[in-house]
Amino acid sequence: MHFRRFFLGAVASVPMLAMMAGAAHAQAMAPAAAKSFIQQSGDKLVAIVNGDGTQRQKATELRDLVNQIVAVDQVGDYVLGRYNHVATPAQKQQFLTLFHQLLSYNITYQIKAYKGVSFTVNKATQQGNDVLVDTTVTAPDKSPADVGWVVEQDKGQPKIIDVIVAGTSLRITTRNDYAGVITDNGGQVSALLSAMQNQITKISSSQ
Amino acid sequence: MKMTLKSRLMRGLAVTVPGLVLAGALSGCATPPPKTDKADYQAYKQLNDPLEPTNRVFFKVNNVLDTYVMKPVAEGYVHVTTQGIRNHVGDFTSNIGEPARMLNFMASGDPTDAGTSLVRFLLNSTIGIGGIFDPAAALGYPKIDTDFGLTLASWGVPAGPYLYLPVFGPSGARDVWNLPVEWVATPMAAAPASTSLTDFGYAETGIDLINTRAEYLQPIDQINATALDPYATFRSLYRQSRASQLQQIKQRDKKTWPDWYHHPAQ
Repeated sequence: MHFRRFFLGAVASVPMLAMMAGAAHAQAMAPAAAKSFIQQSGDKLVAIVNGDGTQRQKATELRDLVNQIVAVDQVGDYVLGRYNHVATPAQKQQFLTLFHQLLSYNITYQIKAYKGVSFTVNKATQQGNDVLVDTTVTAPDKSPADVGWVVEQDKGQPKIIDVIVAGTSLRITTRNDYAGVITDNGGQVSALLSAMQNQITKISSSQ
Repeated sequence: MKMTLKSRLMRGLAVTVPGLVLAGALSGCATPPPKTDKADYQAYKQLNDPLEPTNRVFFKVNNVLDTYVMKPVAEGYVHVTTQGIRNHVGDFTSNIGEPARMLNFMASGDPTDAGTSLVRFLLNSTIGIGGIFDPAAALGYPKIDTDFGLTLASWGVPAGPYLYLPVFGPSGARDVWNLPVEWVATPMAAAPASTSLTDFGYAETGIDLINTRAEYLQPIDQINATALDPYATFRSLYRQSRASQLQQIKQRDKKTWPDWYHHPAQ
């Protein structure tokens, strides 16, 4: 039962499943600015999900939006974690390419479930250089879910670097997910790249 | 007679679960990397999943059970109910767990939360018509979750190795003791034994399982579809969730001085 809040929140935040990051040397973000950024980004996200476009159109629009509001490359670096030092430059490049692709496929996979979604921005809390913006996400036939968005200042622009649901960080979860693949394959980063490629192929063939 | 059966089952669980852990420990341990490989060895220790091969077997078993039993039943349940009905069912089963939460909060030295659980149980069992409604939340007493695993944590018991249990799913060497305690700490177990009460207990457990699984239909589908290693993903989520619950209890139920006590100089 204690997983309930997490799971419900996970549903609500799925479009951001792979949006995780962690730049260490960012400028301090102002809570008010972060709150405003999340309000605007959320409005755009909701408009796309609830819009009349085809699934393909929505997927394209969401991918563009995600690239604007999420620090995807930094998220990728964080997710690869200690294997950043193991991977060759070519593998790192391939990882980031696959990570971008997987992110958009995962988002597209979830679009249908979010029709009718709405959200409310609650409070913003300073956490070091970052700001945690709390929101409540509501969708038809689902219980409201509390979702937190971690925002940082990246090159003067606010960017999302993590999504927190009931105390669980999606960037940490994804890092552990990917590390599981690598450790199960003798520490080979190439195994992760293959798994990511297979996942992309599987999801794209089912759409 | 049937309560005796229930008691036996409960005792059996208490013995079986640690037994399974032991069996797992003997049959399928992960091989740690050599200590000379510092990064890998540190990661292995941090993972704290020495029974991973066995855990992964149980994970597969549970997935099969879920695919052919729990998930179809939950989908059928969702088909014939509304979200409102499912919320009330959740409130009802949650209310039955309130006395156990109160006892756990008392045992962990969190009197404010224990009081909240008591008030919730009294209000929801009466005004809330047996817990079907949750007027206590509207009156300023929202549900606060806890269990025996978190009580043990408050006593300083470490989480221990990760365990993935058949049927029950993610757990740990500390949290596994929550199962027998949860089974016995219900109002039904405290009441005089009767056949109808026992049947009610079984029905309540069954409906709670189905209602909970129904609530997780989409999230679990999503994790299975998008995670590269669902086992590692569930493990990570479980651990983060438990750490967060513990942190929230510590932050929320701060000890306060009584009004009549002169505060010591800070």
